Amino acid sequence: MFKKSLALVIAAVAAVSVSGCSAEAALPDKSSITVYAGRSEALIQPMVDKFTLETGIEVEVRYAGSAELAAQLLEEGQNSPADIFFAQDAGALGAVAKAGLLTKLPDEILGLVSAQYSAADGSWVGVSGRVRVFVYNPDTVANVPSSVFDLAEPEWQGRIGIAPTNASFQAFVTAMRVLHGEDKTLEWLRAMKTNAVIYEKNSAILEAVENKIVDAGLINHYYWFAMGREIGFENLTSRLGQFEARDVGNLINAAGVGIVSDSNAARSFVEYLLGQTGQQYFVDQTSEYPLISGIEAGVDLTPLSQIPAPDIDLSDLDSLEETLNLIREAGLI
Amino acid sequence: MRKPPALIVVFGVSAALLAVLPIGYLVLRLFEGLDKALAELLRPRTLELLGNTILLVAAVSISALVLGFAQAWFTTRSNVKFASVFAVLAALPLAIPSYVMALGYISLFPTFSGFFASWLVLTLATSPYVFLGVTAALVRIDTASEEVARTLGLGRFQVLRRITWPQVRPAATAAVLLVALYVLSEFGAIALLRYDTFTRAIYNAYRGSFDRTSAAALALVLLAITLIVIWFERRYRGGYLANTKALGKRVRVDLGSWSWVAMAGLTLAALVSVGVPIFSLLVWSLQGSASLDLAMLLDALWGSVRLALISGLVIGVFATAVALWAVRYRTRLGVFVETVSWATHALPAVVVGLALVFFGANITPWIYQTTWMLVIAYMILFLPNALAAISTPIAQVPKDLEDVSQSLGVPANRTLFKVVLPIAFPGIIAGVGLVALTVLKELPATLLLRPTETNTLATRLWGATEDLAYSQAAPYALLLVIIAGLPALALNSQARKALSEVRG
Amino acid sequence: MATLNLRGLKKSFGDFEVLSGVNLVVEDQELVAVLGASGSGKSTLLRLIAGFEKPTAGTIELAGDEISSVNKVLVPEKRNIGIVPQDAALFPHLSVSQNIGFGLAGWSSKAKAARVTELLEIVELQEFADSSPDKLSGGQAQRVALARALAPRPAIVLMDEPFSALDAELRTRLRLDVKAILQKEGATAILVTHDQEEALSLADRVAVLRSGQIVQVGSPTEIYNSPVDIGIATFLGDSVLIDGEVKNGKVVTLLGALNPLNKVTEGQVGRVAIRGENFYLLPNPKGEGEVVGQVFFGHDAVVEVVTKGIKIRARSNGPFAPEVGMRVSVWVRGSVNFYPG
Repeated sequence: MFKKSLALVIAAVAAVSVSGCSAEAALPDKSSITVYAGRSEALIQPMVDKFTLETGIEVEVRYAGSAELAAQLLEEGQNSPADIFFAQDAGALGAVAKAGLLTKLPDEILGLVSAQYSAADGSWVGVSGRVRVFVYNPDTVANVPSSVFDLAEPEWQGRIGIAPTNASFQAFVTAMRVLHGEDKTLEWLRAMKTNAVIYEKNSAILEAVENKIVDAGLINHYYWFAMGREIGFENLTSRLGQFEARDVGNLINAAGVGIVSDSNAARSFVEYLLGQTGQQYFVDQTSEYPLISGIEAGVDLTPLSQIPAPDIDLSDLDSLEETLNLIREAGLI
Repeated sequence: MRKPPALIVVFGVSAALLAVLPIGYLVLRLFEGLDKALAELLRPRTLELLGNTILLVAAVSISALVLGFAQAWFTTRSNVKFASVFAVLAALPLAIPSYVMALGYISLFPTFSGFFASWLVLTLATSPYVFLGVTAALVRIDTASEEVARTLGLGRFQVLRRITWPQVRPAATAAVLLVALYVLSEFGAIALLRYDTFTRAIYNAYRGSFDRTSAAALALVLLAITLIVIWFERRYRGGYLANTKALGKRVRVDLGSWSWVAMAGLTLAALVSVGVPIFSLLVWSLQGSASLDLAMLLDALWGSVRLALISGLVIGVFATAVALWAVRYRTRLGVFVETVSWATHALPAVVVGLALVFFGANITPWIYQTTWMLVIAYMILFLPNALAAISTPIAQVPKDLEDVSQSLGVPANRTLFKVVLPIAFPGIIAGVGLVALTVLKELPATLLLRPTETNTLATRLWGATEDLAYSQAAPYALLLVIIAGLPALALNSQARKALSEVRG
Repeated sequence: MATLNLRGLKKSFGDFEVLSGVNLVVEDQELVAVLGASGSGKSTLLRLIAGFEKPTAGTIELAGDEISSVNKVLVPEKRNIGIVPQDAALFPHLSVSQNIGFGLAGWSSKAKAARVTELLEIVELQEFADSSPDKLSGGQAQRVALARALAPRPAIVLMDEPFSALDAELRTRLRLDVKAILQKEGATAILVTHDQEEALSLADRVAVLRSGQIVQVGSPTEIYNSPVDIGIATFLGDSVLIDGEVKNGKVVTLLGALNPLNKVTEGQVGRVAIRGENFYLLPNPKGEGEVVGQVFFGHDAVVEVVTKGIKIRARSNGPFAPEVGMRVSVWVRGSVNFYPG
């Protein structure tokens, strides 16, 4: 049984790589697709319903954590029922792409988004942007430090919240490694072992700042907006801040999408996410940044172009292994 | 040694094969990168996690035993007021998923974290297992033997130690085994409360680095720990004692002025285990702006109830077969099958889930992402819970009755169905209830294996808390606690049944 | 020296008074049976003596020390009392020897082993020394329970219906065994029972408990021959009650003028209690009685006769008992107890 299925897998891999060469030839037509979505149902489902209404293509969505879905896709291999993987972060997409499970996206799709926010090999494309921010309690933090490296100073001991197991934190550490080198990164991580309070995820850090357990934290910007919408912005204690010029702590990250099983229907779904309606939806509903030109970011947001972000492409952040080794060496996970 | 009927062997062997599946998967993954796995195991961090895990398992096992035993003793054997109310309150935490309990604490006490927090929440979440097991054992003890011991020179505490404890020990250690394995495999609450254990490292290996080899290596270590724990339990449990005839009058110990201390203690336990989480949920539902989508709620309710019932019945049948085999035939293979099903019980749900994703998608795609795949996962995860509940009533059916039945011309196999199973039936139903309740609370495997677009109360609850929408999460959590509360209450009254029979 | 002395002992549960002033003295090496119907308060009395309950009023003295009063109850483990419960209640997790030796905590292991062996011999269960209690029959379990209670040489042994769970034949045998064992040990004991035959055959003295009070204490013969009231008379044996009036020192009844056992006053009206063995039946085709029923026991038989409109139950020599349908003449022999009122 097992041997037979292994043979099937090999045959399938061969078939895909062959068809990959002549991808333009003939795409299968599908009337329904399956999406593995690592983003929240409350957010995605209304957009999916709209897509079905407009195109007549049925969409089944499987909601779970991005990392769990990536692990699931890796286990399913070529027999995955998924057509599309819609992930919260580049890391999960990268892992699935690395296993050769994502097909190369057509250039007309890749062309919609700046290359900075997509995979170098075209296996996935960013659909919405988020910025790493410094969230702080203005009562206890007078000035936003000028660099994320300042958080290594002794004055921050026990005052800062981080989530070392979280994908966006890891992406930020990867950027730090790429831009500043292993030694400096390790030094900073070791300082964090002393200074930081460890949380499981961004939302927990934000709640800790709101509850005055820590004075500040490193999170993605939209968590703050989500909490504001839930309990009212006027009730938020914390404020968001950015570090100064091109600091790695201001990294811009993206949620992205990749095609597992190519079809016209799958392509139209990705195109829909990157179309006017889809992009506007992210702006309105999640306070994320649109990644195509011609759509304005939300009114409360600093425009993406004005964020003093570090100069780095998301596809440069695929060396997760080395990052994890450093985080481990520092004893944070 | 008698031979078990073929039907029992078929059910038992298939249950064992299913239980072995995740182990096979782990070995497969391990051999993909032995060097890497070895490096992972030799990290000092692994040792640290091992220490953390053992500390937490030991601490929770002891405290859950003490708490559960105290609750059981006071509500069945003392004259404390409102005993039956306190019994219900002691069983009720079973209905509250440990991640909900942890969330409840965090939202009221934001600094609540670390070892103490994990220890407290897991103690409260698992002590009902001890409470129910010990209650059922306590009501069967003839109190006359305890009074005899008093006249023979033993004080009250000595009686507890030398007469009562030996008689409830098998039930208590079996319950503590469930507790220990629960703690070994727990992820949700521990992650929220920020304490590092082996299971959390396994999750991190999957989630952080998509590193299935390291995860497999760690999971196999966890499996080894589990086997050691099971070995200890088997060694220490001792045989089940012949059921003493519940003939004597049941005499409740007069606590005198201590009655108030006991009531205060029981009230405190109820407050921290049931009061705090429920209060938190009520606070959530009052905060925030969310409006409740009733259709969505009912859909999730139906999804939960349906899964719980199907799984409860299927797992109940398999567990009955394994229990009959292990307890009434005591063949070596039967005992082996029972042990195997226990061994995988401490594996984190994500490991079992991914193993089934792998086998399901690649070997049995026709049941992949169907309800049946979920039922199989629940079977691997929760068969031991059912076994723990079902083995005792099956063991307690007197052997004489089988002999009588056979002497009346009923063949051995039919005797099983006409005599043994009907007598053990209430206990079997209790096992089904326990499984249904556990299935209602399960999250990680449900997320991985559920049919696409099927929702349960637990998955909806997860979705809402991921979005920080606690006000939306509240109705799902409350409904989950209420639904899971029904089997919890039934289990409690089943455990206390002998008590009311004697007093009535 | 009196071993056990109960004075004015009362016990209420809520509004319900179970014992209302019990006075009883048990002498050294004496076996006293407390005889009462179920619900008469027998078990409560034992629990008070053992120290499991606190009296509402009154005191209990054991070997000269006050062990229970309204204010102070000495805990059971310090009383030096042994109990034998209704269903043996052996410790299921201990062997027979361990059960017997359980109360010998302070003893040297040598003395302990000797005592256990001694008791195993007395109760004739040597071969079961290492067995688990569930291997014992009901009678064997009761003997072990007795040995366990006797082992520490308690001041007094309390037995709560120890034979009630056993079948009739075993009960009779075990009664003799128990009496012999208690005598061999020189033990003082109280036996509570609802079985008058058990009480009368086993005890040195019998105390009749009724409605929470001890209404009569005496040797078995005293109790049997001279019940102080009509209730005890009917409780203790198969008696027929017949109206009568005292005339010329005799009690005149439908069955003739009978000799009273107790003191009577001329002209008193009341009832006599006639036991089955006081009737004498003579087969007589012209007799006034007719046999309407018969229960045959071998050595004797109970014969039901209707005579002069009264139904009586007479004990008769088994093999010669008149059969159903026969006509008989009925006499009363010996003296009877007369209860005015």
